[in-house]
Amino acid sequence: MRRTGFLDAVGGLGRHDHVCWVFTTSGEFRSAAGRFLTDGLAEGLRVMYIADAPGDHELDAVDGFASARASGAAQVLDLRMYGSGVVDPVAQVEAYAAATEQALADGYTGLRVAADATALVRTPDGRDAFARYEHLVDAYMTRHPFSAMCGYDLDDLGPAAVAELACMHPLARRSSTALRLHATDEPGIAAVLAGEVDVLGHAQLRGALNRVELADTDGEVAIDGRDLAFIDHRGLIQVVEHIRGQGATTVLHVGPRSMARPLAGLLRLPDLRVAVS
Amino acid sequence: MRSGAPAGSAGIFHEAAFYGSDEEFLAVVLPFLRDGVAAGEPTVSLFGDRNQQLVRDALGTGSGVVFIDGGRHYLRPAVAIRRHREMLAGYVADGADQVRIAGDVPHPGVGVPWEWWARYESAVNHIYDDFPMYGLCPYDTRTAPPEVIDHARRTHTHVVSADGQRARSLAYQDPRDFLATVTPWVEPIETGPPAIELSDPSPGQARAMVGTLQETASLSAEDRDGLLVSVNEAVTNAIRHGEPPMVVRAWAQPGHAVVTVTDRGRGPADPAAGLMPGDGPGGLGLWLMHQLCAYVSLQRGPEGFTIRLIAGQP
Repeated sequence: MRRTGFLDAVGGLGRHDHVCWVFTTSGEFRSAAGRFLTDGLAEGLRVMYIADAPGDHELDAVDGFASARASGAAQVLDLRMYGSGVVDPVAQVEAYAAATEQALADGYTGLRVAADATALVRTPDGRDAFARYEHLVDAYMTRHPFSAMCGYDLDDLGPAAVAELACMHPLARRSSTALRLHATDEPGIAAVLAGEVDVLGHAQLRGALNRVELADTDGEVAIDGRDLAFIDHRGLIQVVEHIRGQGATTVLHVGPRSMARPLAGLLRLPDLRVAVS
Repeated sequence: MRSGAPAGSAGIFHEAAFYGSDEEFLAVVLPFLRDGVAAGEPTVSLFGDRNQQLVRDALGTGSGVVFIDGGRHYLRPAVAIRRHREMLAGYVADGADQVRIAGDVPHPGVGVPWEWWARYESAVNHIYDDFPMYGLCPYDTRTAPPEVIDHARRTHTHVVSADGQRARSLAYQDPRDFLATVTPWVEPIETGPPAIELSDPSPGQARAMVGTLQETASLSAEDRDGLLVSVNEAVTNAIRHGEPPMVVRAWAQPGHAVVTVTDRGRGPADPAAGLMPGDGPGGLGLWLMHQLCAYVSLQRGPEGFTIRLIAGQP
């Protein structure tokens, strides 16, 4: 079972989990990465630590990491292997898919990565490409034993830039983003929209919607809103208008006590259906 | 062809009547309803329980008059407007030349604060003007406070008496002018200090405040969600369209919560703001508040513009 929600610690995450870890010091990132990756080693996963020009021994202080490196279970890699420009989302997913397959072939239970991707997302184009990649790889993760922790430096990037990326994850620190738009392996659901959407997140939501492909079934796009604690009318209209733009209608799945039900009832958007489950 | 007094005119024909007895009430309402049926026009009786029963008893069955429960229809002005417009549009689509509606809006004489019904009676002169509506609003002089009677003359273009005498109301005011004179009623809980006061809160902080209020107010889930959405909309409007600083104040007691959002701007320019899902800035959010809260008051004052939201019983 994949975990979703807001969290403040990276312990105990599973083979399909995808967490965004926003940090303010590199020590903080290394500490979280160390925890995340040693959990992975304990699960029999091959693990990779990726950062901007890291030293090979950067995580050796973490219990068991040095011997894992020696055995090949753990690798330290340079972020620059992605290239120095804007990432190619599809190619990047394919690369991790291949690495996951290789890990399985080598007798591991899957692959786990902790990466400080700050250097790749300093520009708007870089963020756009990387956010698209985040969603594509998120979808891959729902069906394969690949798990990842994506680190972003808050002081380097600023809260708005960090939020653009954090919101593409099923798991993130609450302080980094109020809303999340992510993938799911549940059949018939195009994406999950969670958290809270209000005026401070409208631009962020618009950006996120532009960076995902929403599959439609018979002209209807299904969004899982069961973890949507709040959405305002403009946010809801924004979702419906985006999906209308691709020629489809929207079905929003919510819980029985969701505030989206009375709101949708008043708005009476012709191409919005609210389904309670 | 429109029958009766509105013959030859377009849009809403908005007529008030004043009665001091059941006989006077029926004397003005029954001809209105019977003439409508005789002319083949959709004719609706939309009164509260007591008056509705008087009409039913007088007309008997098979009168051709459509009876709609005034209590539910006139729950909130924004709700009444939506229901009216849907009804009017439906009849017009079916070919009606005129639709007659006789009804009484709530007022303090029946225990409901007048303020947003005053706004309603004025705003409908524009809001229903899209339709060939003949509206008759009888006011009970035994129970309606003097202010309500005065406002009735200023919000209806015509007045008809129990003996059928009809005249233009000389006191009628354009909605824009009338609405500038409407002042909010005093909510007793506001005379005490607020339980919570927030300066320039984010919408999220304001929403969290509603959760805190709920601990005291224990509103129904529906009312709590309505207040949550409304507070968020009011704060959002202040951020997007108002001027800082913004102050949010809140009071609660069991079954009742009051939240005010004040900013230094002038508030919405549209006199019908909130009563219709307006195109103007913040219009849809304001309309949502009017649908979801027990009462909404808008006021311009020296501090700026204040929206007061009431959840639970007003």
